[in-house]
Amino acid sequence: MGQHKEVFYPLPPVLYQLLINVLFSIVFFFSDNQIRFVKSALWYHGYDRPELYRLPSDGSAGSRELLLAFSWLLHRLSLLEQLLARNRVKTGDETSVSPEYGLEDGVDVRYLQWLNGRLRFQWRSLHAQHQELCKLLHKIHLFTSGSHMDQILGHFSVTETDLVRQPENYKQLLQLLESETMQLEAFLEWKQLEPVYWQWMVMNQTDFGRCSFLDSNIADHFQRPLPTKISSKRDILCCFLAGELFYRNLPYFFFFPLFFLFSLQVKTGGEELQKEGFSATARKIQESVELKLLDLTYLCAPKKNKMHGSCRLVFRSKHPASKTGFGSATEVIRELQMREASLERELKQLREECRQRLDEIAEGLDGVICISP
Amino acid sequence: MSIVTVQLGQCGNQIGHEVFNAICSDVHGTHGLCSKKENESYHDACKERFFCEEESEVPIARAVLVDMEPKVISQTLSMAARSGYWKYDDRSRFCQKQGSGNNWANGYSVHGPRHKEVIMNLVQKEAEKCDRLGGFFTIMSMAGGTGSGLGAFVTQCLRDAFPTSFILNHVIWPYGTGEVIVQNYNSVLTLSHLYQSSDALLVHENDVIHKICAQLMNIKQISFRDVNQVIAHQLGSVFQPTYTAEGGLHYSRNPLGDLMETLVPHPEFKMLGLRNIPQMPENSLAYSTFSWPGLIKHLRQMLIANAKMEEGIDWQVQPPSRLLPPLQPFPNRPLHFNTSIANLVILRGKDTHSVDLGSFRDPSLYTSWLNPRDAFNAWKTPRAFNKYEKSASLVSNSQFLLKPLDNVVGKAWNMFASKAYIHQYTKFGIEEEDFLDSFTALEQVISSYTILC
Repeated sequence: MGQHKEVFYPLPPVLYQLLINVLFSIVFFFSDNQIRFVKSALWYHGYDRPELYRLPSDGSAGSRELLLAFSWLLHRLSLLEQLLARNRVKTGDETSVSPEYGLEDGVDVRYLQWLNGRLRFQWRSLHAQHQELCKLLHKIHLFTSGSHMDQILGHFSVTETDLVRQPENYKQLLQLLESETMQLEAFLEWKQLEPVYWQWMVMNQTDFGRCSFLDSNIADHFQRPLPTKISSKRDILCCFLAGELFYRNLPYFFFFPLFFLFSLQVKTGGEELQKEGFSATARKIQESVELKLLDLTYLCAPKKNKMHGSCRLVFRSKHPASKTGFGSATEVIRELQMREASLERELKQLREECRQRLDEIAEGLDGVICISP
Repeated sequence: MSIVTVQLGQCGNQIGHEVFNAICSDVHGTHGLCSKKENESYHDACKERFFCEEESEVPIARAVLVDMEPKVISQTLSMAARSGYWKYDDRSRFCQKQGSGNNWANGYSVHGPRHKEVIMNLVQKEAEKCDRLGGFFTIMSMAGGTGSGLGAFVTQCLRDAFPTSFILNHVIWPYGTGEVIVQNYNSVLTLSHLYQSSDALLVHENDVIHKICAQLMNIKQISFRDVNQVIAHQLGSVFQPTYTAEGGLHYSRNPLGDLMETLVPHPEFKMLGLRNIPQMPENSLAYSTFSWPGLIKHLRQMLIANAKMEEGIDWQVQPPSRLLPPLQPFPNRPLHFNTSIANLVILRGKDTHSVDLGSFRDPSLYTSWLNPRDAFNAWKTPRAFNKYEKSASLVSNSQFLLKPLDNVVGKAWNMFASKAYIHQYTKFGIEEEDFLDSFTALEQVISSYTILC
């Protein structure tokens, strides 16, 4: 691939600085060489465009690549959401799960057993600490129950209890909350402008030879009626990539054969079939694929797992008068999407049944032509 | 973080009482030699570890007392109450009218299962009083009936009921000359059972403590109480609050966890020995001064030469040189060199921050598969312990107990080969096969410690 002209963005250092700030807030290692840091941090997150890694190490060029990388982070890692979540002022009591661990190999097995034992003991200590936390939280929640204005909550959180005990701390909390509100407002503003940004990116990056996630044409490709003739391998690949993009929660190995078979069928059968016959077959296949996809979206939708990540702790007595979920917005959206998919599936099925029944009825009636919907 | 002490049998109850006494007198003493603030946080940390206050005037020991005979427990309770500084919870004890008659099998197979529910209820109640349960510290003799048999059973129950808690068993190794004819059988059964359910076995040998009383403490007529007080002092020097992290701002709230993580992560190596320096009669302390380099030098030599106390150290023993390329697969160490798996040094008193512990970080002290970074740790506090201006303790997972263990197993095996006294055990359901299992388990421990290099 040839070098791209550096026309629009003459300031790679600024972009490097931006990426450093961004990456530093989401990665936990740091290298003295900033360019190397940006590259390794992006590599760490799975960014594998070779062009970026070929950029000169003096930071003199590559603003287009850097902008692309930045956009990738924005899109793939939900960067802003991550940063917002990280800086969130926590007024409620939260809990989270611990990360996993990996072991080196190529050492004395007794040393590994030793390390394993230490891990086991550390886990036990953590467990005891966690139990203590629960015990103390329970005490606070129990002693303050009925004190909260919010009837659903009923009790104070640790932060709130601390405020009751040391009211002078409220100023600091207020400041934090205000700055968080500002951040959220900025985020909302960004969300409104985001399509413009992507449009602009697409405009500027269209001459990138590779099918990248940015290429909205690929996405369109998937939603447009299927081509009557698959012209090249590239189209197959694009179909596949688009599918992968839209359903990246699904195991793509499931998709690939599906698309591949589909295109193959179209290709081999295309010459023999009449035009009408072909489009009918294509439609049929398309429908079955869509149905399958819907099924898959439903089946592979991330299972609701309340134990993962942060969640607000609310103490309930033995008689739960009201039950309110404190899930995040994304969780609610995910659940709704899941339900949408399953309802749509059901609708399709019912429509099909109706059509069949109508056909059956129409067959029994002489002289009536029934055009099914 | 709190520790629940479980005192089992005559020996366990008497030592437990002395431990709480030693801790309490240390905390209430005016010998702290540190700032008021330091002293206060030391005091608070100690209280949280070993006592709960509730509404009573004096702190109540976090302890469960178990014995089959009522005599020792009632003595212990009243002695503690009389001290005026602390007491036991009257409801936190369990005793019966009749002892186990020094029969391990009777304690393990009869008394244990019969009284399991009551004893475990007491433990559960005590555990629930802790905001954070750090674990259990059980004290018992290895060779007796109630303490050892019932103790092994109770430890198993603790493991079942509290799978994520730390369990440290303190065991008293019997005199070599023997108090009970079947003490070696009892010891083998106790050790092998504890090795399965406990996280670590902290061992005190009666012979060693007896020698300390005679040679260091200058006691003429040595009583059990004298022996127990030395043991309690040594235990206190380990479990009183310390800073377990370099530059730590708070006293450790996880003493058992920190100890285990340092010393016994490997499940095959759980035997811990304890050494301390200096140890002397109270009235000589005023006339003695110590320097840290001197204390550390002695303590290190006690470690590598396996000396039981600061007197009679063999200064000839040196760690094998690793610079010479070994001709055999293992470096050829002198037989009397004591190889360590892991060591923990605890320093208390003046100027602990400036103590150089480099000599304990020598890789040649340790087994080849661990480096000193993993195998050595130091805890410190500027607060002096029990009137000693400076004191150092060493908890060591090393070959310290290899020889005594080998002795006990050898003697028991000889008796077992002639089937002596076996019927006393089979009578209560401990069969020959159980003995064989125990022998096998301990032979494995012996072999693991022997081939350290």
